[in-house]
Amino acid sequence: MAEKIDPIHQFQLVKIGQPLFHIGGTEVVLTQSSLYMIGAVALITIVMLMGTAGRSLVPGRLQSLVEVMYEFVASTVRSSAGHDGMKFFPLVFSLFMFVLVLNLAGMMPYGFTVTSHIIITAALAVLVILTVIIYGFMKHGLRFLGLFAPSGMHPVMLVILVPIEVISFISRPISLSVRLFANMLAGHIALKIFAGFVVTLLGAGLWGIISPLPLALAVALTALEFLVAVLQAYVFATLTSIYLHDALHPGH
Amino acid sequence: MAQTTTASTEHPAEAHGNFPPFDSHSFGNQLLWLALAFGALYVLMSKVALPRVAAILEERHNRVADDLAQAAKLKSETDAAIEAYEKALADAKAKAQAIAGETRDKLAAETDARRRALEADLHVKLAEAERQIVDGKTKAMGNVRGIAVDTALAIVERLVGKTPSADEVDAAVGRALPASQVQ
Amino acid sequence: MGKAFRLSSEFIAGVIAGAGLGWGFDALLGTRPWGMIVLMMLGFGAGIWNVMRASGFVRPPNG
Repeated sequence: MAEKIDPIHQFQLVKIGQPLFHIGGTEVVLTQSSLYMIGAVALITIVMLMGTAGRSLVPGRLQSLVEVMYEFVASTVRSSAGHDGMKFFPLVFSLFMFVLVLNLAGMMPYGFTVTSHIIITAALAVLVILTVIIYGFMKHGLRFLGLFAPSGMHPVMLVILVPIEVISFISRPISLSVRLFANMLAGHIALKIFAGFVVTLLGAGLWGIISPLPLALAVALTALEFLVAVLQAYVFATLTSIYLHDALHPGH
Repeated sequence: MAQTTTASTEHPAEAHGNFPPFDSHSFGNQLLWLALAFGALYVLMSKVALPRVAAILEERHNRVADDLAQAAKLKSETDAAIEAYEKALADAKAKAQAIAGETRDKLAAETDARRRALEADLHVKLAEAERQIVDGKTKAMGNVRGIAVDTALAIVERLVGKTPSADEVDAAVGRALPASQVQ
Repeated sequence: MGKAFRLSSEFIAGVIAGAGLGWGFDALLGTRPWGMIVLMMLGFGAGIWNVMRASGFVRPPNG
């Protein structure tokens, strides 16, 4: 019983098989997290390839799904990063699909949510911000630093504003990763607690009468979590596009 | 996690007691798998899947644009055909009307001429008839005088017993008959 | 709710970034705790700045 209600247990990584090899002090071992990631990549790839296999003019069900996804992400990139932001479209699309599928996979019963581990979301956010920095410097050189100095400001104001802008910039990958991670983590913990509550009440004799109450809450929370899973993937893609906009147009 | 490297453990590394998402021991492993998985996904998407979707959408876009252009062309052709047809119809109508008008005028003129000829003919005949009547009347009147003279002669002869001279009777009849009737 | 969560995470991220920078600064230069204090204040400002920008209160610098 105690194990069932433990809301943290679901985030535990489970090793599968022997460690494959070691790199330095790190052992490389297949975990259910790695399996979920590989599964997500396989699923996305299969859907994308099967959806486009027909190449029919009038799309079937799978092809419309693929096209809707494509158009959705494309319009997000276009509206947030501008038309020249489309060169980053594959990156944003991969991020969106990856996060979306992993978020939704975590909603399966007994599922594991890869995106509830901060190292994963942080790595994705760092990837985004490194793309912004590297591309920004490659395209604009030192003018990219103009991002931190709003034009038309008094020099005295700049002394205060530039550090704030720098910190604000550094906070971007943090907020990007923390938001996704915290949403997934908090949602799943809340779900688990309420579900566990139902189980506890059912096992507690007379109190079982009120068990439908937390059950209803758990059902409502599940619906909310599905919404959050999709929404957070979308927010991740949108913010990535907005940050990429800075790399393309650092000036004002 | 070093001590849990034994065979297929379904047991999580609970020895640490850490909150799993913050367990830094697993970071290296997770990062490696993430890099592999996401790298593969990025390559697959950017090199294979997305160009295919883009090609499909492009093709549809072009096809739709083509179809629209074709439809516009057909429509303009149809419009032209309708216009030509309407023009031809209007022309034919005008022509028919002209012919009808012409025919009507011609017929009217012919009828008129014939009627006028007929009328002239009738006038002539009427005048002739009137003249014959007048002639007849005059002749008849002349006859009436002769008859009156003869009758008067006979009556006088019978009444008086003697035969008056023709000139006397004639004069008397001339007096008795109004001048207008004699003529 | 998504909006509220986004704004609060923007703010918290600003503070975390400031504190983290200050911690690193102090660790490198041995100026504990001053770098942490100053940069956390700035991080606070950056957090507010983030929130104002995210909520559209000020024009985003990137137009």
